[in-house]
Amino acid sequence: MRLEQDIRVINKLGVHTRAASKLVKLCSQFDCSIQISNGKRQADAKSIMSVMMLAACQGTELKMVVEGEDAAEAIRQITDLFESCFEERE
Amino acid sequence: MFTLHGTGVGFGIAIGAARLIRRPDQEVLEYSILPEQVGQEIQRLTDGIHSATECLSTYYEDLREESTDEVHAILDAHLLMVQDPILLEQSALIIRERLVNAEFALQLHCENLQAVFRDIDDPYMRSKSDEISQVIGRIQDELLGQHAGQSSLEGIREGEIVVTHDLMPADTIEYKKYRVGAFLTNLGGPISHTAILARSMQIPAIVGLHEGIRYLKTGDTLIIDGKRGVVLVEPDDAALDVYEKRAAKIKRVTRELEVIKYKPATTLDGQTVELNANIEFAEELKQSLECNASGIGLYRTESLYMNRRDFPDEAEQFDVYSTLLNSTERPVTIRTLDLGADKQVDGGRRNMSLATNPALGRRAIRLCLHDLTLFKPQLRALYRASIYGDLRIMVPMISSQDELDQLFIVLDEIRDELTRENLPFKPHIPVGGMIEVPAAAVTADMFAKRLDFLSIGTNDLIQYTLAIDRIDDEVNYLYDPLHPAVLRLVKSVIDAAQNAGIPVSMCGEMAGDIECTRILLALGLREFSMDSTVISEVKQRVRGTRIGEMEPIVRDLLTTNESDRYRDLIQLING
Repeated sequence: MRLEQDIRVINKLGVHTRAASKLVKLCSQFDCSIQISNGKRQADAKSIMSVMMLAACQGTELKMVVEGEDAAEAIRQITDLFESCFEERE
Repeated sequence: MFTLHGTGVGFGIAIGAARLIRRPDQEVLEYSILPEQVGQEIQRLTDGIHSATECLSTYYEDLREESTDEVHAILDAHLLMVQDPILLEQSALIIRERLVNAEFALQLHCENLQAVFRDIDDPYMRSKSDEISQVIGRIQDELLGQHAGQSSLEGIREGEIVVTHDLMPADTIEYKKYRVGAFLTNLGGPISHTAILARSMQIPAIVGLHEGIRYLKTGDTLIIDGKRGVVLVEPDDAALDVYEKRAAKIKRVTRELEVIKYKPATTLDGQTVELNANIEFAEELKQSLECNASGIGLYRTESLYMNRRDFPDEAEQFDVYSTLLNSTERPVTIRTLDLGADKQVDGGRRNMSLATNPALGRRAIRLCLHDLTLFKPQLRALYRASIYGDLRIMVPMISSQDELDQLFIVLDEIRDELTRENLPFKPHIPVGGMIEVPAAAVTADMFAKRLDFLSIGTNDLIQYTLAIDRIDDEVNYLYDPLHPAVLRLVKSVIDAAQNAGIPVSMCGEMAGDIECTRILLALGLREFSMDSTVISEVKQRVRGTRIGEMEPIVRDLLTTNESDRYRDLIQLING
């Protein structure tokens, strides 16, 4: 299963260190491959260094491409994480 | 046995094992491997990553208990970085394609990452590239067979001699927690951060070894003679014997100094002098009181701001200042933020500019007046803490009356705000200025009329007056606290304060240098502030001085134009 979804960074600090760690930890639990891109920069969501390189600040539109059996569940949980502002007080 | 020579600073003699600490930019050697060795080399890489991960997890487990959320987040991220699948994948690819050793493959991958990070617009993320090279450095350390944590401070054993390229101000704050035996660095001069740190820890250091440290390896037995600036590497028994005896003698002298701790700092002609302590952390108050300091002459607040990403807010600062003031009835002079120049904060939203000449850039009061959101929380916290003790506020690096005008407007605003908010503060908190820019020293009379006290900051005053970058070890031999230009400026500041009837003190390194004590006394200085570890030594010098005898010699010193005579006079003074 291959799914694509756009996702918007709404939290104030953007995908900073702590948020990136949470995202990577979450994504690593899934078997599917998860690619996130910010314009021409593309990252493997299981690699913290590449996620940090996205430099996704507040308002950035990211594109997610997820491929694998558990893709749907992955997308759901990742979207939740972004929408909850990475579970941080703002 | 062989010897290395550098600039000796700090205190006494240390004998111990060398502990090399890599800096992230240190060179990693490239070796070629054969195609049939690729599998083996990738296995080495995997093993290296594995042991680096283990080592980090254990270390962070220990740290976790006592650290803040902010630190947790950084630790978590580091753990994820070291296990990053792409890191392994890309480095393995480099090994395979270029037939190089694992350390070098990591280095190449690290450089690729750095190049990407350099292009990131967000300064916070850009600053993360240093952390990436640190993490990669740890894996490289593991591969080089160095034990856990040699790329950083963890695992350092008491008495070991830290050997490294250079210490950063942020490192120095960390080092205070470890009881290392000595420091050896390639860079640095007599008043570099390494030197200041070594003195405050009462250990020797040898700086400015240039590339000397490359001849050393972890575990080498070293004798460090801080006074002579000599390192004896793998000494023979005879040398060890001589130095062990010397070290014992130094300990004896130190004990003698203990005795005078509770005697007054009074000269032979009956003048009593105040000897205050400089501190960097509130926790150092205890040590200062143990050394019987008259008070705190300089509390540098920068440590509150360093090694973290955000800035301490008003509440956090209020806690620190009020606790400090509450723990002593003696006067405490707190210096407002002196960031900039060689003290940069880590990343953060207010990324400091990397001006070509930061010592002359927007730092200290300039930065604070430029960014009131940085300055005001500190001033509010200070004002609010004032009711807990005898607080004086000192402003660093003032150079013009305009700055004073602005400062007073801000202070008025703070008082108004606090009154409106019904928050208590002392109505008359002495506000003083640190005189460290030659412009301020020359016009000290103008500052003395408007401030409650002056304090001479000699480290910067000397570097600005003599146009010598104090962290440039190629020119630091020119750094001379006894240069007549410096002494004349110091004298004019003391005179200006005396004429205005306000106190004047000195809080730079010169105040704690016994070679300068008698000269300063003769120039009229009666308040000194120094690292608490040298208070007893300076007191001993004060107690052995007859100011009346010194005055005519020092007058000569300020006017003689013969360098031989100048040296003779100095010898006469300190003889």
